[in-house]
Amino acid sequence: MAVRTPGLSAELLPAVRDGAGLQQALDLGYRQVLLERGSLLALVGQLAGAARRGIAVFVNLDGVEGLAPDSAALAFVATDLGFSGVLSVKPHVLRDASRFRMRTIQRIHALDSTGLETGLKSMASPAPLAIAVAPALTLRQVVGAIRQVTSAPIWGTGFVTTPDHVREVLAAGAEVVSSSRPEVWKEFRPS
Amino acid sequence: MALRQSPTPVRPLSVDRSVARLCEAFDRVPVAAVIRRAEDLPRALASQVPAVFFVRAPAFHLGPLVWAVQARGKMAFVHIDLIAGLGKDRAGVSFLAREIGVNGIITSHGSLVAAAKSDRVITVQRLLLHDDLGLPSALAALERARPDIIEVLPGVIFPAVVSELRARVTAPLLVGGFITQAAEMRGALEAGARAVTTSTLSLWP
Repeated sequence: MAVRTPGLSAELLPAVRDGAGLQQALDLGYRQVLLERGSLLALVGQLAGAARRGIAVFVNLDGVEGLAPDSAALAFVATDLGFSGVLSVKPHVLRDASRFRMRTIQRIHALDSTGLETGLKSMASPAPLAIAVAPALTLRQVVGAIRQVTSAPIWGTGFVTTPDHVREVLAAGAEVVSSSRPEVWKEFRPS
Repeated sequence: MALRQSPTPVRPLSVDRSVARLCEAFDRVPVAAVIRRAEDLPRALASQVPAVFFVRAPAFHLGPLVWAVQARGKMAFVHIDLIAGLGKDRAGVSFLAREIGVNGIITSHGSLVAAAKSDRVITVQRLLLHDDLGLPSALAALERARPDIIEVLPGVIFPAVVSELRARVTAPLLVGGFITQAAEMRGALEAGARAVTTSTLSLWP
């Protein structure tokens, strides 16, 4: 499937909630951000502008207020905003997103073994581009269960608050780690 | 002439007593057994845990399981969000409280905590820590709902949030989620958990 939007260029993905966070990440040389939490207004403002300038913008659809989890919202995010990909725990949202040729990242909430089992049973189809485990620090404990159902690349996101956390999550098997902390972004800034 | 008393908040008093009793029991045995499969229940009944948490049980066959727990002098809690067949609303809570007679309900939703206030059940609200940017709104939701007990998940994140949590809420804190080893259990207790919740049988004393 041809995807024309930019993809990832570094293993650290800055998680932002607004234009100020976006600007900080861009100033550090990042060409990619994840809108983890935020509002529709943040989306249509500076983030849309960044996407037009070739920045890879990923958005966690479960964390954006003001957007409905439906096809109209996805058409808007994909076509009007030109975002690179979407994250959601909801398989039907990802199925819709793949129709709009967006990269789809299945969020898995790793909170306890019962919830993990439910999340892994209801994986999106077609297969997502990646699995995002939240919170990332559980990856060591859950990577075995994930690998039994999919070989997709793993992202770690949520409560990554120190550079050591990033290293721990990478060591546990993640290819991409997302953090909301500018001090972490500085440590891993692209050269 | 006997004075007519002002309407007493019957529920809060008796629920407060139940919570105090549970906390005393947790001081001796700081573990609640999470039942994911019916086969695990006999082990929980034979253990010293003071409370049993049912997750993912069928609503209309729950009675005998709950009563078996209570017959052992333990408290039975039911996770209403995950129970098949039951509405996630006030009537669903009332069914669990009055028809089955559960000691408490577990939910992630503040609205269900509020709905349970008119029934004589302990409310356990889950604080789901998947995303640090969502923490402020999750804490605000806890403050609004004022549950009797808070269950924080997953265990590995608890130490990072415990001081902020303590500054905002006074309810006893349970910690669960991927607690599969004795060291993880000790870590949660040392960080300030009143008890841990775990489905790992070897951690049930």
